[in-house]
Amino acid sequence: MSRPDPIREDEVSLKYVGKNITRSDAVKKITGKSVFLDDIKLPGMLYTAILTPPTAHAKIVSIDTSAAEKEPGVIKVVTGKSIDFLFGDNVKDRVPMAVDRVRYIGEPVAAVIAENPHQAKMALKKIEVKYKALPVYIDAREALKKKAALIHPDSGDYWHLPGMGPEAKTNIADHYLLKKGDVKKGFAEADLVLEGEFNYPFSSSAAIEPHGAIAIHHEDGGIEIWSSSICPFVIREDIAHTYKLPVSSVRVHIPEVGGCFGYKSDVTVEQTIAYIASFVPGRPVKWVASRKEDFLSTLLGHGIRTKFKVGVKKNGKLTALQTTILHSTGAYVDTGLHVMRGSTHNSTGTYEFPNCYLDGYSVYTNTPPVGAYRGYGHQESQLGMERMMDIIARKLGMDAFKLREINYLGPGKMTSIGERLWESNGNVKKCADIVRKKIFTGKKKKEDADYYYGRGFAAVMKSPKGAPFSSKSCYLKFNVDGSVSINMGGAEVGQGLRNVVRLVAAEALKIDPSRISVYTEIDTQFSPWEWQTIGSMFTMQGGRAVVRAAEKAIHQLKKTAMMALKCDYDMLEYDGDYIFLSSDPGVRVSVPSLAQGYMTEDGITVGEVVHTTSDARLPRYSNPDANGQGSFGVTYTFGAQACEIRIEKKTGKIIVDHFASSFDVGQVINPVQIRGQVVGGVVMALGSTLYEETKFDADGVCPNPQFSKYRFPTINDAPAKQTVEFVETPGKIGPFGARGIGEHPVIGVAPAVLNAVYDATGIDFYEIPLSPEKVKAAIDAKGDNRCPKK
Amino acid sequence: MSEKITFKVNGRERTVELEGWERGLDVLRENLGLTGSKRGCDDATCGACTVVVNGEAKKSCVMLAKKLDGADILTIEGISKGKKLHPIQDALIESGAVQCGYCTPGIVMELYALFNKNLAASKKEVKDALAKHLCRCTGYEAIFEGALLAQAKLKKKT
Repeated sequence: MSRPDPIREDEVSLKYVGKNITRSDAVKKITGKSVFLDDIKLPGMLYTAILTPPTAHAKIVSIDTSAAEKEPGVIKVVTGKSIDFLFGDNVKDRVPMAVDRVRYIGEPVAAVIAENPHQAKMALKKIEVKYKALPVYIDAREALKKKAALIHPDSGDYWHLPGMGPEAKTNIADHYLLKKGDVKKGFAEADLVLEGEFNYPFSSSAAIEPHGAIAIHHEDGGIEIWSSSICPFVIREDIAHTYKLPVSSVRVHIPEVGGCFGYKSDVTVEQTIAYIASFVPGRPVKWVASRKEDFLSTLLGHGIRTKFKVGVKKNGKLTALQTTILHSTGAYVDTGLHVMRGSTHNSTGTYEFPNCYLDGYSVYTNTPPVGAYRGYGHQESQLGMERMMDIIARKLGMDAFKLREINYLGPGKMTSIGERLWESNGNVKKCADIVRKKIFTGKKKKEDADYYYGRGFAAVMKSPKGAPFSSKSCYLKFNVDGSVSINMGGAEVGQGLRNVVRLVAAEALKIDPSRISVYTEIDTQFSPWEWQTIGSMFTMQGGRAVVRAAEKAIHQLKKTAMMALKCDYDMLEYDGDYIFLSSDPGVRVSVPSLAQGYMTEDGITVGEVVHTTSDARLPRYSNPDANGQGSFGVTYTFGAQACEIRIEKKTGKIIVDHFASSFDVGQVINPVQIRGQVVGGVVMALGSTLYEETKFDADGVCPNPQFSKYRFPTINDAPAKQTVEFVETPGKIGPFGARGIGEHPVIGVAPAVLNAVYDATGIDFYEIPLSPEKVKAAIDAKGDNRCPKK
Repeated sequence: MSEKITFKVNGRERTVELEGWERGLDVLRENLGLTGSKRGCDDATCGACTVVVNGEAKKSCVMLAKKLDGADILTIEGISKGKKLHPIQDALIESGAVQCGYCTPGIVMELYALFNKNLAASKKEVKDALAKHLCRCTGYEAIFEGALLAQAKLKKKT
């Protein structure tokens, strides 16, 4: 089972990987010189403002734009009534602007194009729209009722990728069922069967930079788009499809992105702005979301209810798992269905269940589309699983760590989707032991006059949620001085991937990172193709692509050196500065003299210009089979998180004093950056756990689409102390053994805190956010706080 | 309708003609091209638009533009000298406080105003100043460390 691992043996010799270097974008960012979408001004640029409806689900009876058209500065008023296409990457169920009905509160109904944004906003007020109300469904459970009105009456006709998509004449946007073993038999073998229901409500990714786009339809037929997005190539392909253009005629630029966390992936606002701009060919049209629009006209996150039924033997061995994952997917599903699918097949958490029946539904509702949010479905179902483990341990009278250890996934174990794990997939127990030592050493503090004290734990697992073709590409060129330029299609959203590229390339090419420059923006005209920068895959896949490109470049250098040194290929070695004869290192030729071909004494030049391309995808990624199983996890990162909390008796306020995280990342590439990812992720998820919720009333209106009303963690909410330690069991895919980490820190936070709350108060909570009011009420009632059932 | 205002930005006097609807941030970004100050919200909560006005850190997104008349304003573009960064900028880079960079200029300006007024600010005072800013990336740890490092660097200089 455990195999010899050459990368581990190499580990000690790493020269650059694992070291801190200053981010190449730091100075531009700290001087305010980085160019974000809203900083771009193009010649002849116009601005648009977008009208949204007062209620979330309604038929459009009439739109009168005549008064708005007469307002100062107005160039054009646009409605969606003539739209004859649908767009989407997985399910084509979206329109760029409402045609005859609105399905959510942030849906574009009409738009004004004007000389400046203020004029556009003013004129918007003059548009008159008459609506006829339709029933509004916020929760999947309502939209699933037999008599519920259909949000997409024609959903059965929508184009979709094979094996997924809507069920006609229902509000089901996608159904995924995973069967492993025989779940009935598994429950029959169990000594104890326990059930629980959990809720991870809507929240917003809420990057500080609002989403936006600029689009221009050139007079020669091409389309050019700038977006604060992480999927330029998906946008390019989708827009080309819509406007019946060759993909090569669409050009997408991605400037610096001010945070993403999920919701700037997938095609959303770009199609709307491209549609609006189609009315003024030759003029670029800009739109940057207000904070309210950023909340309501992009993508929401979470919105997932889960039901768990777990079978376990007295000795702690898990026998069966049945889960129902109910994803309120909002007005349009498109790629959101993968959040549900990821949530469903990862609802086992870090444990092996021989028998599984995991049933997931994405259901159309009348909220903004609910899609990608850092963690991609994992935190929603692992909240349930990790709470269940604590509850089961209690019922069995068994130590919760021991129960987990009996069942952890690891070498030789099989995930729900039937993937066998190896030592190289990482070690959850090592991570668990680290955080256990940090948080659970010594006795818990005793309740005092002001506070209850508690400690909680959660183990974590995440797979990337990729796609069969999810490649990342690299273009690497040696310059005449031996310095190296690297161009890739990965979106820098703050995570620091440019430094990852530099460090990995430095290691692979054996040259100092200061001699490697990395691309600063993405432009589909020049950038090598990348699927999209999602799923915590860049370090692993992008890094692998860098290593492959570097190896090819060294190969090219050697081929030319063969001619320069008149010797066989296999006698040559490379050290970053020279290609030399291994038997006589004094016989050598410098890398710069090979970079553009080798010039011989008489000026005749031989050999290739040294520039290479490469790509890397998830190896043998497959679609699900008839049982919903297949090779679509491919790689996993395991980890563990734990916390020490205090609950203020007077108010019910939860204070996190110490939060510890440990992940088996295979190989740390840059220590400062990876700590930043984890510390930031923990605070983001504490926001979800304790404060954040994007709310909707019965009409689908959101009362809190502003930072002043949406409780976002500040420095005062951050834990007084965070411990972050890594385990480095090298993986087989990523560069030098590295695995993904971007999303993982958010996954175990909610269950760790809720488990700590039980430890402190003896009260089980099943949903978040855990506001002081809820905690105080439950303490006062001294009752069992079950997730409300309807 | 239109109204002229004159004020000092980063040491230079500027005159801007207003239409009347503009906020301070619009004048800086749109009229003067000082795009280092960012728009993150519309209700003075996130702090990305923070600039220093007459020595005080102010959120320019809600400030009426005409109130800038006669003011002395410092923006992120005005605190480094060519390639020489201000110690606050150096410190924040050193501590790893820069991730996406969108909230960063506002935080630099907040700390600039704080340490200019009170270089002996307590840890709590530093925290209180930073609590006026939202950051989604960092979890604030590196920002706080960077702020304290900046304070130490500035103390050493004086």
